Amino acid sequence: MSLITDLVERLRTLVFRRQEERELEEELRFHVTMEAEQLQHQSGVSATEAHRRSVMALGGIEQTKEDVRDARGTRLFEDTGSDIKRALRSLRKSPGFATVAILTLAIGIGATTAVYSAVDAVLLRPLPYQQPEQLVRLYQYFVSAPANNYVSPVHVLDYRTALPSLEAVAAIDNYHAASGDIGGSDHPERIRLLPVSSDYWNVLRAPPMLGHGISRDEENRAAVVVLSYGLWKKEFQGRADAIGQPLLISGRSYSVIGVMPEAFADPMVKGVDAWVAMDMTPARDISNANNHYVDVIARMRAGTTIKSAQAELDKLSLQLATKYGGGASDIRARLEPLKQDIVAPASHALSLMLGAVIMVLLLVCVNIANLLLVRGSERAREFALRTALGAQRARLVRQLLVESLTLAIAGALGGLLIARLTMIALVRMANGAIPRLTTLALEPRLLLFAIGVASLSAIVFGLAPALRATRVQPSDVLRAAARSSTGSRAQGRVREGLVMSQVALAFVLLIGATLLIASFQQLQHVDLGVRPAKVLTFELQLPSARYDSVARASFYETFAQKLMATPGVVAAGGISRLPATGEYNVWGTRPTTGPKASTFRDIQLPTPQQRVVSGEYFRAVGIRVLEGRTFNSGDDRSAPARAVISQQIAEKYFPGVDAVGQRIATADGEHEIIGVVNDVAVNAEGTLAPILYHAHTQFAGDRNWELSQVIATTGNPDAMIPAARRVLASLDPQLVMYKPTPLADVIGFGVATRVFTLRVLTAFAAIALLLAALGLYGVLSYTVKLRTREFGIRMALGANRNTIRNMVIKRGLLVASVGIAIGLLAAFGLSRVMASMVFGISALDPRVLAGATIFMAFIAVGAAYFPAYRATTVDPRQALAGE
Amino acid sequence: MSDDRSELLQGTLEMLVLKTLALEPMHGWGLSQRIQQMSREVILVSQGTLYPALQRMKRRGWIKSSWDITENNRRARYYELTAAGQKQLTVEQASWERAFNAVNWIMNTQIAPAES
Repeated sequence: MSLITDLVERLRTLVFRRQEERELEEELRFHVTMEAEQLQHQSGVSATEAHRRSVMALGGIEQTKEDVRDARGTRLFEDTGSDIKRALRSLRKSPGFATVAILTLAIGIGATTAVYSAVDAVLLRPLPYQQPEQLVRLYQYFVSAPANNYVSPVHVLDYRTALPSLEAVAAIDNYHAASGDIGGSDHPERIRLLPVSSDYWNVLRAPPMLGHGISRDEENRAAVVVLSYGLWKKEFQGRADAIGQPLLISGRSYSVIGVMPEAFADPMVKGVDAWVAMDMTPARDISNANNHYVDVIARMRAGTTIKSAQAELDKLSLQLATKYGGGASDIRARLEPLKQDIVAPASHALSLMLGAVIMVLLLVCVNIANLLLVRGSERAREFALRTALGAQRARLVRQLLVESLTLAIAGALGGLLIARLTMIALVRMANGAIPRLTTLALEPRLLLFAIGVASLSAIVFGLAPALRATRVQPSDVLRAAARSSTGSRAQGRVREGLVMSQVALAFVLLIGATLLIASFQQLQHVDLGVRPAKVLTFELQLPSARYDSVARASFYETFAQKLMATPGVVAAGGISRLPATGEYNVWGTRPTTGPKASTFRDIQLPTPQQRVVSGEYFRAVGIRVLEGRTFNSGDDRSAPARAVISQQIAEKYFPGVDAVGQRIATADGEHEIIGVVNDVAVNAEGTLAPILYHAHTQFAGDRNWELSQVIATTGNPDAMIPAARRVLASLDPQLVMYKPTPLADVIGFGVATRVFTLRVLTAFAAIALLLAALGLYGVLSYTVKLRTREFGIRMALGANRNTIRNMVIKRGLLVASVGIAIGLLAAFGLSRVMASMVFGISALDPRVLAGATIFMAFIAVGAAYFPAYRATTVDPRQALAGE
Repeated sequence: MSDDRSELLQGTLEMLVLKTLALEPMHGWGLSQRIQQMSREVILVSQGTLYPALQRMKRRGWIKSSWDITENNRRARYYELTAAGQKQLTVEQASWERAFNAVNWIMNTQIAPAES
């Protein structure tokens, strides 16, 4: 036999399939006719009997056709094509089912993928650097106070020379990160500068795209600058000859030495416009060995584990402890993976989201399962009929498989569309509060996973009914279907079980979302120690070139005085870091008088943070004076150093004595305590931190403090902006009033991640509720349809319509309550996970649980109402006559 | 349809079809009738297996088909032998005779009486 002939013949039959089929049909008809005529002749039976016998002799026309088709050897192609056509036709025939199934799949795949991709972009992949696994963050700590601390510049020099397992060690002087004004005096613009050491570019393996980074020789605040891509575009219109050009920043002329690529961003500090040389000269003064203010990142040599690097660092730490002695003998250091360091604060939110994504996906699968099972039972008769007519079981199964796959593919395509739309919505929703969200792209692994899981459930539950239908005797099914059966009890139980699990899943998500909403409300009412309402804030920076420390000191005070003379201003002042916007300037502090002076190492209190204030800051933000006084005009440079401390410091440092009049030492020397004020939160969650306040008039020489200005007003803080701007211009028209914002909004920014999580989880809960409601609705509708005859009989026998309706609703509520009960159990199980996300309430808050239960019950009644209503519209005559 | 016995039968059916078609072109029903007659009603062609067999033989290029009018003025598909089919018939007939003879030798062997 020739292979070619075979192939040609196969192809021919494939191409002319339609004609082949027609000819086969005609040939078999001819055969039956001839056979029947002969039978009639020979045995004289009737024409119909002869026809019947001749068909039997052939072994069934359909069967023979199937066998001939098999013999053609083109089965697989032909059937798949016709299966797809048939699947599309059958889906078109039941548009309701197709729409709901495809929508469910699309929502499940789309929404979960988009949201997870967002989370992934924001939280999971924050390190767009080469070999990010080699990047570590280095913290110092004290043997007596093991919390992570900043690093002393003196140690940085040792770390970068004496640790072979670290390829490069970079210092980031975030403490001295500052704003600078560029551009002419008429349109000054504010940019953000980050001082870094020379190894910064080696650690991140991110060389400038033009020019080069900062060199070792320039680590003394040399007037060189590396521009971000954006600043380069803006100031030099993207010209390559920008290298070597001067750039005036806050009155000082810098030489441009490099330009970073567009995609580059600092791993920790957001929105850096330019990198400047950090000052490493203090590192050569050993007295700075206990002065901790530097952030350190490092890159481990390839093949080095963090464990071996840590061992090396431990050995060095001991040597350095002896070398520097004194207070520095207590210093140790530890390495943490940089990624973990950055992601850690958000990891709870992340696991929560992931959990929610999985639950929604599960819900989708259950919904699909339910839909397909119902459809399968509805089609049991069709399958039985086709089996009776000689269709092969494998053929039926394959057709259903194709149908399920068609559904899955349509769902996946819809899912992609929804994912795109969701991502656009997410970017809008985050409104710039979530960094890096704009770089959002679909996470391919999750997309594949979601499509895979959804398709799998479609296939498994699409096939189950087919396998069942083709296993039983066709005649049984046909007989049973002829009567109006209520479906097998077992099938009904499976479906109800699935709906129960849906209700349970949705209920858990509902509880989660409600908890977050309640937490958020609690947050709004948390006592931050300040009164942010009606307070306007903005940033103000005085260029060092024109303002020396004396001029700065007097400027901030004069500005506050002038503002307070403006109508509508209650009080005005400034502070180096606004309340509830994060930790800042954590300095080693100790009492030098009082009961703890000699035993200060035993003090159980986090290291206090330092703040520099000007004007009437305390009054402006509503911080209460508990003892003594706050700063006044007498506390200037000529007066002895004075400090105001917060309540926690007073209680822990000076227990049992009056804190006012005691003395306290920080890195910059001893201060006399003149007052005690209430504690203030360092974050929006209301974590109170010990704070030591310095008067700017006494502290202006330390550095050019950029004091955020606060103005308490009698009315809407935004309405005060023009007046404040006029006052500023009257003092110095070249100064920029940067980012005027109500204080409440500035603090609110700190909860942006929480708000984002909240919205996403709420959206998930809404989707889950919708799916659960759809599931409940679907199952009850089907039940009602199956029981139409029963309801007809009941009504014919005098049953009240209300009784019928209540019967259906009761069934729905029963299913829902079991689901709610399971959901409650799950909520108890998950309360540990939730506990880290909730604020101010218990993860098992009874009001939340009760509220969610009632809400869920309402949804259940709503979903049950329509099928119940339909049950009451059954016309008894029609229902009975319909048989 | 997959055990050895039916395989053998199937092969035999194909040979019979080839032989019948070697005499003259014929339609499917006529083939089944003719084989029945020529075997003096001993062989009853299972009609359900005839058409798949024809399809298979067509695919192998042994026979070809065309539509024609029967003596009773009906349209029917007629099958005829191709050159390849002619060759196949010789091959199959030879191998059939060999097998037939071999089986006969075995069946005609005298069984020696068992020694007692």
